[in-house]
Order: sequence, then C-alpha cells, then structure tokens
Amino acid sequence: MSQPVPGFVPSTAPPGRPEGQRKLLARCWKFLAQRWEWSALTILAVAPLVVPALGGALGGQVTTLFIYCILALGLNVMVGYTGLVHLGIAAFFGIGAYVMAILTVPMFPFQIGFLAAAVISVLVTAGVGLALGAPTLRLRGDYLAIVTLGFGEVAKVTLRNLEQITGGMKGLNPVPPPGAGVTVGGINLGQAFAIDPRWFYYLTLLLLAGVVVAMRRLEDSRLGRAWMAVREDELAASAMGISATRVKLSAFAMSSAVAGLAGCLYAASLSTTADPNAYDFNRSIMVLCAVILGGLGSIPGTLLGVALLVGFDTVLAPWADSWIQQMNINPTGSSLLSFSGWRLAIFGLALVLVMRYRPEGLVPSRRIAAELHSAEGQA
Amino acid sequence: MPMLSVRELEAGYGPIRALDGVSLEVDEGELVAIIGANGAGKTTLLMAISGVVPVRSGTVEFRGQSITGLPTHEIVRLGIGHAPEGRRIFPRLSVRENLQLGGFTQPDRAQLQRDIDEACGLFPVLGDRMAQMGGTLSGGEQQMLALARALVGRPKLLLLDEPSLGLAPLIVARIFEVIAALAARGIAVVLVEQNARAALKLADRGYVLETGRITLSGTGAQLANDRRVREAYLGEG
Repeated sequence: MSQPVPGFVPSTAPPGRPEGQRKLLARCWKFLAQRWEWSALTILAVAPLVVPALGGALGGQVTTLFIYCILALGLNVMVGYTGLVHLGIAAFFGIGAYVMAILTVPMFPFQIGFLAAAVISVLVTAGVGLALGAPTLRLRGDYLAIVTLGFGEVAKVTLRNLEQITGGMKGLNPVPPPGAGVTVGGINLGQAFAIDPRWFYYLTLLLLAGVVVAMRRLEDSRLGRAWMAVREDELAASAMGISATRVKLSAFAMSSAVAGLAGCLYAASLSTTADPNAYDFNRSIMVLCAVILGGLGSIPGTLLGVALLVGFDTVLAPWADSWIQQMNINPTGSSLLSFSGWRLAIFGLALVLVMRYRPEGLVPSRRIAAELHSAEGQA
Repeated sequence: MPMLSVRELEAGYGPIRALDGVSLEVDEGELVAIIGANGAGKTTLLMAISGVVPVRSGTVEFRGQSITGLPTHEIVRLGIGHAPEGRRIFPRLSVRENLQLGGFTQPDRAQLQRDIDEACGLFPVLGDRMAQMGGTLSGGEQQMLALARALVGRPKLLLLDEPSLGLAPLIVARIFEVIAALAARGIAVVLVEQNARAALKLADRGYVLETGRITLSGTGAQLANDRRVREAYLGEG
C-alpha cells in the first residue's frame, strides 16, 4: 500500500496529493471509524447551540429520532445479537409509554415523579418480556415471529379497548414533563421542559448515549457473547455450558426493558401516549427495517438505519412536503406530488437495494472491526 | 471407581434406536477410543453422554454422580467438554470470542485469559488469528480452534467427535499429537474416530461399536491386533 502502483489511482488520494496529506486523511478516517461515538455525540451536543431551528419543531422531531434510536438498539439485542425474530417491539414501546402515563397523569391517583415512573415502567416492560418469553422460547424462527406479531396486535387492541385505564383511542394525557414542580437553581424544570424542546433533546441524547455505552459493554461481556453464541449455533453454545433458554430469556427481557425506556421517553416528550395505533405493527416493522438496513447486531449500523428511515419519515418528509407547498407546485393537493405519499415506495426500494447490494447492512457489525484490526496487524 | 461409567444406555431418534444398551467405562486420565462404521452410533453415544440427545434408558455416571437426563449446559459445568462433530465453531465470532466462549463457565477474567493463552500454546497459529472471524479459518485451523475452545473450559473429561475428519494428513498428525498430550496432562478423553488405526495407536483402551452395541473391547494394542478389527476397520486381510 505504501508504494502507489503506476496507473492505479486509489479513490481516497487523487494523483498529486502529497503523501503526508493522504496519511492524515487516512488517520482521520480511522479515527472517525473507531471513535464515531465521540464525533457524533460532540456534533449532536453542540448542534442546539448553533442551529436555532432545534429550539422549535425540529428539536422535537430530532428528540423523537433519538427515542427511536433507543428503541432500535433494544430490538437489536434480540434480532441482531441473539438472532430471534421479533415483530412486536412496538407493543413494548407502547407498554412503556402507557405505564409512564398511568403513573403520572392527573387522571390517576399515583402521580409520581418522572424518574420513579421511568424506573417502574422499564421494570414492568422487562417483566412483560419475561412473561411472553418464558412460554414461547422453545419456538424457533417463523413461529417465534408469529407469536411476537400476535402479541403486538393483542397489546394494541387491549390498549384500545381497556378504556377505563388507557383512555381508549384518546390515549392518556397530559403526561407531565420530567421535573414538573421541581425548581433547581431558580429554574422550574417542568416548565423549562415544556417550553424549550432542547431540554428533551439533551435528556434523550444523554440516555441514548448511556444506552450506546451499555450496549458496547454488553457486546464484550459474557452475556453478550452468550447471546451471539446462541445465534450462531445453539448446540455448540450449550456445549460451552451456556443455558440457551436462560440466555434467550435475558435477551427478551433486555430488549423489552430498553423498548420500555424508549416508550416512557416518548410519552413524556409528547406529553401524551397518543392513540394506541401509534404502537401498531407498522411501527414494529419500521424499527425492524431500520435495524436490518443498518446492519444486524451493529450499534452504528442500527443508529444509521434509524437516522435514515425514521429521519426520512419524521424529519425529511414533512420538511419536503412543506417546501413543496410553499413552492406551490402541488395546488391540487394530490398525494402523487407530495413527498410523504411516496414514502412507503421509497422505503421499499431502499430495502430492496440494500438487500441486493449489501445484505449485511450499511454498517455491518464486527467484520469492519476485524478488518481494521488485521490492517493494524500488518502495519 | 471409574470416572465415567455408562450402563445399558439406550437412545435414538423417533423410531430409530441408535444406541441399544451400550455400557462402557473411562478412568481418570485415560484415553478411550471408540471406533465403528458410519451409523454405528458413535456420535449419538457422545451426544447422549453430554445430554444433547435424550437418554431413553440406562444411566450415565460421572465421578460418582448421576448425570442421566441433566441438560447439556449443566453436564458441561461438571467438567465434561464436548467438541462436537463438524467442529461447530462460531463462524461469525472472532477466534478470541470463540475461545472466550469456551471458558464461559470461568467467571474470573484473568484466569480465563490464562486458560486461553495456555490453549493457544498448543496451537500457536490461533494466537496470530485472534481477531479473525472463525468462519474464515481453514478447516485445519477450525479444528484446532474447536479443540482449543473445548480445552479453555478446563474439562476433566473431553469428548472428541471425529477430530480428523476432512483434514490434511500433516494436520491430523498435529491434532493427534495434542490429543496424546492431553492424556499426559491427566485429562481423560473419549475419542470417536473413523481413522481407527491412528486412534487405536493412541488409545489406552478401545471399544468397537456396531449398530448401537459394543461388540468388542480391549486395550488399544489388543484391538489393533484383533483379526476382526483388522479386517473390518483397518482394511487388512
């Protein structure tokens, strides 16, 4: 690599670029690839200070994006690490949101603080995950997929029909913002959260960073390796002394708990659970698609997948629509000329293209890391 | 008292009775070879001992404790390592992770690292391949990884299923060298092999398995010199 081959032009270094500059570029790239979390976190942490739009509706949209990132990382534990198909993650998202709401809305007598409510709803969703997992883990592949799919629908219908508790189609509201009634250093936290979306932006960013760190640690832990061993070869895993049942259950519980965390953030940030259809099959599939698109079992891949799919859906499509409206291109309001009218088609096309040309996902897990390491070994 | 004693073991798949009353014993530090034709039940025997295949009747005792019907992961924790047929390494995990999983039952990280280093001492090539995906290793390297992975778990008894299958003669020789070295370290080994000549040469004792029954047993040398064994399994006479 050190001697350029005559006639061969490496894509990263146009001819004539000095050697030193090329090395610098390579080093920057390597730094970005290995320390992407820090680069991304820094940019996202500084962004609200320099982009005023994040103080408006855009801030709320990006917050939602972060919440979906947490949800997708939760799903990734089951689908990516452990290789169990899960088609009902939105149900756990919803349970987290509803438990959060039940514990905090004025309609119910509990009205406990945000933190306590969040802890309880994470524990409840983990418990529900265990309860669903225990009897169904003997099922494999398609059958487990059907059970999780069914559970997702049952959960949605239950939320819709249990009107005394869940408020039916109206959902539960208002979910108070975190720190309602708490004053720290002269700032009424609850009001601050309610007025400026940047508070929620930072709260969810912080929790997302926490989840990413936790997932990183898990990947390199006994438990994480056990998940992957079960995914690769269950028989060989049991020959290592791994109890496949217990390991799968723990993946189920972990996925559910993280999805529950995302759910309670969702309810708190919107100050409502919204109607139960917000937690339906389409939602599960969108998150699953994001994980697959980005790369199963890959943290950066999952985040990128969410940024592309959900970001497209919640940030780019509304923005493009309002732009089209402003430009008066679409006076009849035809859905053929609106961007969001095409979103499912674009989703589908993107997935087909990724599966055709990059079946391991945009940022595949491990393989990249291994390649970087072997490059280090040669240097 | 033998380390492992199997009595009247029966196991099978659906209507097929793969093991039809097998009894055998393995003493501490002993290398026992099991030879037999394809479909004789060799692999089923190992899988029944380690609990992968359910036992229909009969008993398996390990160090005086009945392990009949225990789940595989508990049997492994008692000190029986199983390197299953076809290597069964984790293809999309790195060599290091494969080895770490071999020591899954070892909670102490530092001790686990020492065990990994020790296992890699037997197969230095693995040390150079630590970050590589298991699935990208050559067949011989995969077999070495499978053996090393089983050793990281510090088994007292190691069940080896066809470790020489599909490997080049030079690598087979290296694998057998290591197996011999294990016995010298006091690890008891049950070796299932198609390569009967090499297995019997190495083994303290051997059993011949035919359609689910033990038909012959004796020391390695006795079996290697037995007329029936020579005709049926060593390709002589």
